[in-house]
Amino acid sequence: MMDTQLLISGILFGLSIGSIYFLMAIGLSLCFGLMRIISLDQLLYYSVGAYITYSLSLATGSIWLGVLGGVGVAGIVSFAVERLIFRRIYERELTFSMITSFGILIGGIGVIKFFWGVVPRPVPVPTLAQVGILGTEVPVYRLIVVAIAVLVYAGIWLFLNRTIIGKAIRAGIENVEHVEGLGINVSRLFTITFIIAGTLSGLAGGLHAPLIMVDPSMGLEVLAFVFMVVIIGGLGSIKGTLISAFIVGQVVSLGSLIYAPLAQMAPFAIMLLILLIKPTGLYGSALLKR
Amino acid sequence: MGEAMVKAFRWWWGILLAFSLVALSRFVLPLAFINEVIIFSIYTIGCSFLLGRVGFISFGQPAYLAVGAYGTAFYLSYFGTNPYVGLLLGVLSGLAVSGLVGPLFVRLRSDYFALVNLALAVIIYYLMQKVLAEITRGDNGLWFLTNIVATPVLDISSPNQFFIFALLVAMAVWAFYKYLDDSIFGACCLATKVNEDKLMFLGYSNYSVRLTAFIIANTTTALAGAMYAVYLGFVSPEITSPARAADPVVVTILGGTGTLYGPLVGAIAYTGMKDVISKLIGNWELFIGFLLVFIMLAGERGIWGTLQPRLQALFSRNSAPAAMDDRATKRP
Amino acid sequence: MPPHSPVPPHNEDLLTVRGLTVSYGESRVLFDIDLSISPRQIVACVGRNGAGKTTLLKTIAGFLKPLSGSVTCDHASLVGRMSYDIARMGIKYVPQDKKVFSDLTVRENLELGSYATKDYNWDRVTDYFPKLKQLMDRKAGYLSGGERQMLMIGRALLGSPKLLLIDEPTEGLAPSIVTHLKTVFGDLRKNTALVIVEQNLPLVCAISSKVYALKEGRVVAALADRESISVDACERYL
Repeated sequence: MMDTQLLISGILFGLSIGSIYFLMAIGLSLCFGLMRIISLDQLLYYSVGAYITYSLSLATGSIWLGVLGGVGVAGIVSFAVERLIFRRIYERELTFSMITSFGILIGGIGVIKFFWGVVPRPVPVPTLAQVGILGTEVPVYRLIVVAIAVLVYAGIWLFLNRTIIGKAIRAGIENVEHVEGLGINVSRLFTITFIIAGTLSGLAGGLHAPLIMVDPSMGLEVLAFVFMVVIIGGLGSIKGTLISAFIVGQVVSLGSLIYAPLAQMAPFAIMLLILLIKPTGLYGSALLKR
Repeated sequence: MGEAMVKAFRWWWGILLAFSLVALSRFVLPLAFINEVIIFSIYTIGCSFLLGRVGFISFGQPAYLAVGAYGTAFYLSYFGTNPYVGLLLGVLSGLAVSGLVGPLFVRLRSDYFALVNLALAVIIYYLMQKVLAEITRGDNGLWFLTNIVATPVLDISSPNQFFIFALLVAMAVWAFYKYLDDSIFGACCLATKVNEDKLMFLGYSNYSVRLTAFIIANTTTALAGAMYAVYLGFVSPEITSPARAADPVVVTILGGTGTLYGPLVGAIAYTGMKDVISKLIGNWELFIGFLLVFIMLAGERGIWGTLQPRLQALFSRNSAPAAMDDRATKRP
Repeated sequence: MPPHSPVPPHNEDLLTVRGLTVSYGESRVLFDIDLSISPRQIVACVGRNGAGKTTLLKTIAGFLKPLSGSVTCDHASLVGRMSYDIARMGIKYVPQDKKVFSDLTVRENLELGSYATKDYNWDRVTDYFPKLKQLMDRKAGYLSGGERQMLMIGRALLGSPKLLLIDEPTEGLAPSIVTHLKTVFGDLRKNTALVIVEQNLPLVCAISSKVYALKEGRVVAALADRESISVDACERYL
């Protein structure tokens, strides 16, 4: 049937693209779980991460330095946005944060256009090395991306389960008022969570940059896929995000080996199927008014 | 008899005034601009209705625009030449698609709803761009301007006469939405947004209300798509590219969510600003993004949403009821 | 119904509420509430459902903003402060919903309380609620109603608060646990003032030294005299 070599590189491709989606989806999930906001502007921090990676790697010659820089700048920008804008809107309903964060995303794209122009930019891959796995030559870089995503998952797990702030966040996801009532400064908790989300999105952008061309609307292009991951996994669940990122990544990748044009649409079909059975996604929380 | 006429006038005068102004602007503004504005406002009124009345934001309105546009385009490229038939088919396509996805979509929570619609828009984009490229000519777009024959009475293949046609269609659409607003259905829509439990206890089905509103709104959007197709004689996947998802949302907020004339005002402001800003600073996204955030933080009322209550107060000081216009703008 | 005459504030009052008016959106819930609580006193707040008792506690604790009026504790105004600041000032609110952080263990629930107050001495908590010692590593979601109530109060005790605002603690609990709580409240009184909202009139009449009766958002009676506090007296005002 299918060539084993194609299959293996297809799986790896799916894992790497799934990793990128996962990194962004964690942030979205956490922001929703704790703050009850939809933070579409995470796509902006993704773009920022990619663009800073581009510029910094151009300037210093080291792409990893670029990624680091991208993560840092994304974190700073998300911090600024949280302080200036989101602080005022935490109490409002979901659609409010959706529209406002969408405005931030669009405005941010404008800022990117202002500084970098509209022409897509290439970012070189940090390493062109290939390694043999089960008889197939696969790019080491993609393995690194997957490895980083696994490390991040472990890190997030440790953070949420072994640190007091992480536990406070988990408690807040259950009930913010009760956390406040204990005397914990939830405002700071929100900021911390938002910055974590922004940094992870920036990391996703930086890691993705060498795999695609960096262009101003890159955030919009991935938007649909990232959200399909989030919806399938269920907003608010890290485990669900991991699983659905894996699924979507594999479907897109292996699907394109079978029949390319439909592969992009397959996640959509899966999403609709899952929503039919469980309207809040695989692990989504059923609570919440509209 | 006279009473009935007065009553009818009271009901219609807002619409008549608004569109007379639009018609008159024909003499001041370029025809292309006005035609664009009219179609755009029809595009937006569906989105505005969904958001303002039912409380659903959809980031995927371009999907239904494309469905309407391509429905018309396919007909005019491959099957026939009558633009009216083309329009009808575009609208019917919209009706069909929204009827198909509606039952699933409207059950979702508001954020999931917004995003599945976005996903739909992206899917249709890929569909038209790659999957069906043979019949859609992919990114090159479908050209069928030459296929359209002149139609009797009003030749909508000519921009001038299309303008008159568009004006009439728009007035009909506005009359329809105004009627909805005033009807029980309109009240149900508002109720489903504000307090769905109460509506349920009153005996209405939230699901049915939402589904009907969804189908109405998206069929209207498909109508706009069909009109675009006939007007331009050309359709390409770009109309539903991810970058276009912002348009109806921005125009809705800009004009004033849920107000009757908001979409019209918003469309004029948006298209006008776009022309001017693009020439001045060329970076349209920057401007519109910050404008959107600003409007949201400043009270989300938009242009018409802010003007309308003041105008109403102004008129009610002079003459008796001004409330024929837009009662529904009272935001809780 | 005799009009409520305000109890004149004493200088050593712990908490003073004056003219408090609170609304949820358009509807007024509390009208012109006056209260005073002394240190190490148990005050009960009774009334039918919807009388505004929870709203009162929540406003004092900073979860709701009043339309007008003042809330002072030790000469510091509480109105306008964030709820977590008020909690750190030593005023803890124990909500009615019996919800603890179910995904966290009992230990972790207490850790959160300690983190906020920097009080890592759990002896007081386990002295009052020895059962919690055995439940330390159980996920809080698996606790019974009574155990959850104990955890909530225990958590709130961290940091040695001067005032506990407890909302319907005995609702839905078995009589043996209610008795236990009654003893606990009596003991707590030695160090902490308590405001207890309750429907269980015999309980509060037995342990309180002051009872406020709320009806439709107003204080209709303030029984400050131990002799005047009885179940009959309370019921008359409801």
